[in-house]
Amino acid sequence: MAEWLADIPLYWAKIIGTIFFVSVMIWALTRPKDYIFQGAPDRRIWRDLRLWAVVVLLVQIIIYLGF
Amino acid sequence: MISGIDLFIVIFFIVGVFVVGVYFKKFIHTSEDYFLAGRKLTWWVIGMSIIGTNIGSYDYVGGAGAAYDVGIAQANYEWIGAIPAMVISALLFVPYYWRAGAYTVPEYLGKRYSQPVRVIEALLWGSFLVCCLAIFFWASGLMINTYVGWPIWLGILITAVVVGIYTVTGGLTAVAMTDVIQLAIMLVGGFAVAIIGFHEVGGWGGLVEKVTVEHPDHFRLFLPLDHDTYPWLGMILGLGLVLSPAWWCCHQAIIQRTLGARSEWDAKAGMLSAAFLKMLVPLLYVLPGLFVLALAAEPLSDKDQALPWAIKNMLPAGLAGLVFAAFLAAIFSSVDSTLNSAVTIWTRDIYQNLFVKKAPDKHYLNFGRGLTMVFVVLGALLAKPLTTSFEGIYMAMQTLLTFFQGPTLATVLLGIMWARATRWGGLSGLLGGVACSVTLHMTGMNFLYVAWWSFVAALIINAIVSLLTKPEPLEKLRGLVYGLVMKDEHVQNSLSSRVEGGE
Repeated sequence: MAEWLADIPLYWAKIIGTIFFVSVMIWALTRPKDYIFQGAPDRRIWRDLRLWAVVVLLVQIIIYLGF
Repeated sequence: MISGIDLFIVIFFIVGVFVVGVYFKKFIHTSEDYFLAGRKLTWWVIGMSIIGTNIGSYDYVGGAGAAYDVGIAQANYEWIGAIPAMVISALLFVPYYWRAGAYTVPEYLGKRYSQPVRVIEALLWGSFLVCCLAIFFWASGLMINTYVGWPIWLGILITAVVVGIYTVTGGLTAVAMTDVIQLAIMLVGGFAVAIIGFHEVGGWGGLVEKVTVEHPDHFRLFLPLDHDTYPWLGMILGLGLVLSPAWWCCHQAIIQRTLGARSEWDAKAGMLSAAFLKMLVPLLYVLPGLFVLALAAEPLSDKDQALPWAIKNMLPAGLAGLVFAAFLAAIFSSVDSTLNSAVTIWTRDIYQNLFVKKAPDKHYLNFGRGLTMVFVVLGALLAKPLTTSFEGIYMAMQTLLTFFQGPTLATVLLGIMWARATRWGGLSGLLGGVACSVTLHMTGMNFLYVAWWSFVAALIINAIVSLLTKPEPLEKLRGLVYGLVMKDEHVQNSLSSRVEGGE
């Protein structure tokens, strides 16, 4: 499979990688609120796991765009 | 290699872990306490324990060597090859395992699909984990021999006695709590090496300047498609989309901590906090590999000597002992988790599921403890033969697992996401996907692409066979499939009964 893709420039790796991270981020952000807070003692903002998912993926995007 | 203060630190670490581990014996009264820490683990313990379990001695030695060889592309295994999968695991897979009240991933598959799927997965993972145990024991003996000079058998004996006793007595609680201590030691050791390393090479700029003179690609995360081991498309498709989710969403030793969570939120938050910690892991071995490349006057003949070189030439007395304690921590945390998970699978999915179904709870607790002792002895006895004389057995097990990873992920994914997936679809997809893996493997295809195509094949086969067979009754699927977790009393009652151990 690698042969017929060999001409793809390396910057496409960054583009596809970034799309991958952003897709997971959007998916995480669209999880229903009730589902995310299920079992949480309260609904304070820092218990919203969607935000933490966005933070960790954002750090990854910055790293991958930088290197 | 180490002496004096270093040796004292190592012995202090071993005794300290042992004492802390045995302390948790008093909390073990039932089989649920033993296998799932009484479902009382909090999110931060789960997160630290997951990463402690994940980091093994090979990550240190082999990872530093690979970083020395290919540069920061090695960090793909910790970043794109882990973080997205951990987010998906936290927000999709973990809640369904937890709600199912399962002790193991095969048990979830049994509830969702059928007994054959459960038994196939249990036998595979159970056998693989026991083989891993023997390999870890050998690695510990070898490491103690290399750095302290004690005989290999003595290193294996120390590991078996220390880890064996606290795992037998304290179960998952002891395993998780000692993992927390062990990860803390690994991180402290890693940060110390990073600070000293940056001081030696003149900061980040100095490191980049020294390394890129002769190795311009060492600071690229993605390598060209014609790269032998890390082609970028394979990293994204095979590692990012299949192997990594299969590891983080289906590996029993990883998932078991989340099943012991005190709430569904703690289970999810535990996996997500592990993702934050995972971002730091390249500090532990990628940076040291690059420091050696920048500082060593002559190229190393064996890249796996990168980390020993760093310890010998970069670290002062005291710190070398701390880093060595971190190595031991990596091994101990892998051994205890593997041991506990292997025993859980063999007890729940094989012994209790197939042979002794309705014994008192105390019986399964005692059986689990007995089996833990048997596996410790077995692992220690098999350590040398499995690693030296019968290396092929371990390699065969590892290859077999690679064959299963894509199909397993496809089976779990469709099981959670698609109510129409049936027992026959699950079984056919699993077996058809494995057949695809084996066929592609025989053509010599890179394993990253094998993983991807076997995953796709398993998805398609599962979907087609499911559509051709009778749908599963809705009653069986409630709480196990996305969209069937409505907040009505009936569903909550059936979920509660599963959590309490009913089917």
